[in-house]
Amino acid sequence: MELVLYHGEPNGASLTVLAALAESGLDIPCRPIDLLSGARHALPEIAEPIALDLGIEGEGPVLVIGGEAMTESVFLAKYLDELAGGCGLQPDDAYAHWEMLMWCRQITERLSPAAALLGNLAHSQAAIAAIPASDFAALAASVVSDDLRARWQALHEGRADPAQVADSEAKVDQAAQRCEDKLADGREFLMGAFSIADLVTYSWLAGMELVRPEAFAETPLTRAWLARVAVRPCILAALAMANTPEPLKTWAPGPEINRWG
Amino acid sequence: MTDVTLYHWEPNANSGKPMLALMEKGVPFASHYIDMLQFDQHKPEYLAINPQGTIPAMTHQGPWGSRVLTESTAIMEYVNAAFPGPDLMPADAQDRWRVRWWMKFMDQWLGPSFSMIGWSVFVGPRVRERDPEELAAAIERIPLPERRRAWKKAINGDFSAEEMAESRRRVALGVAKLEEELGKRDYVGSDAYSLADINIFNSTYSLPLSQPDLASKDKTPNIMRWLKRVYEREAVGKTWAMGKTDMAARYSLMMEGII
Repeated sequence: MELVLYHGEPNGASLTVLAALAESGLDIPCRPIDLLSGARHALPEIAEPIALDLGIEGEGPVLVIGGEAMTESVFLAKYLDELAGGCGLQPDDAYAHWEMLMWCRQITERLSPAAALLGNLAHSQAAIAAIPASDFAALAASVVSDDLRARWQALHEGRADPAQVADSEAKVDQAAQRCEDKLADGREFLMGAFSIADLVTYSWLAGMELVRPEAFAETPLTRAWLARVAVRPCILAALAMANTPEPLKTWAPGPEINRWG
Repeated sequence: MTDVTLYHWEPNANSGKPMLALMEKGVPFASHYIDMLQFDQHKPEYLAINPQGTIPAMTHQGPWGSRVLTESTAIMEYVNAAFPGPDLMPADAQDRWRVRWWMKFMDQWLGPSFSMIGWSVFVGPRVRERDPEELAAAIERIPLPERRRAWKKAINGDFSAEEMAESRRRVALGVAKLEEELGKRDYVGSDAYSLADINIFNSTYSLPLSQPDLASKDKTPNIMRWLKRVYEREAVGKTWAMGKTDMAARYSLMMEGII
């Protein structure tokens, strides 16, 4: 069965999955795509597109296996770990596993949308706004999800809701503080042992050191943890796949901000 | 004496998920009914168990002391991994990915739309019959700011026409996609009954009654066939028997009539 991983630059959701793939040691062909050109919405030979069309995560990586598009970085990282027969990215113990799932959900539900909004406004909004109208119309038409298309359109038109920006800044600050609290007992990684929780949190938080440095002003443990994760071989391997000098500055429309606040 | 205590409301939506998962695994548990419409979940005795004030929550006693578990889908994964009994996750890794994908799609995209509609037509009107001052005090006790905002909206009927239209659009699209999915596989995400079925059944079993324009024998034969198959499970009957309102009885009558 044919496998291929389509991914953006190693940041956000793509970084999580590229690092998990490196950790797994699996030999799966990787194809970089230009997320900001809409390439993710023009992938060839997708027989089962629902996870690509209606994924929650926005412009995340897509693993295609036998024509089925698979998305959502946490679940792809779990899948790669399981496919490799367990490469150590998930705890075996049921309770420790529950804790990791809860952590990852907090990150993907609260930090990821916030980081994506701030990251896009800081680093990709100008590029998206510069897409000529006719090209953008074609790109927007290729995006199946109405709510993801709306996030593209807001960036293209330079619209940003100040309340959402303020809320996103608060959520990034809270995420840095949550890490600080978790690390307070001296543990090396968020769940104790290195896990998907570190991958997913690093992937969304590392770029925020550039965009929202004040979030880290009083979180020395979080800063030290970011530095520890940054030199993990799987993160280094993922970052080595970058086609730009500063991959942590590459963003594309991400998850939706919770509709209920 | 049982090691597991589940704090839950009706066998419906989030509360129904761990109830049914425990029943399917054959895990005995003490049931602690939390009346959501009386705001039991924000009272001090429950906040001592789960400071977030969300339901359901589960405690599990053992050599480790007492564990408190929250978040219905994550509790189900714990129940499946921690106890013997039938495996409620498929054996194949790609199937497991699909099961998780559908649960997230329900929990984070489709579910909030179901609940916005449910709250505006059911929870809001029921709760609004109560004393406004008592309601205001109850809202103030809600620990999570976002839940406080959501409850205020539900109680005051503040969902905008635009928000409601978007929720209806999502429900219609989600139901259509579920129909497609169940045309490909026997169950949600795989050919075996799993946590995804438990998750999605708990939010869709009432569709033929509440949204007959979206789900019916003619419009969604795959969903109806799947609902019937899940509805007939022994564990579902046992779980529904734990309901204290007429919700479960109403739906079992409906299910017998429609399917």
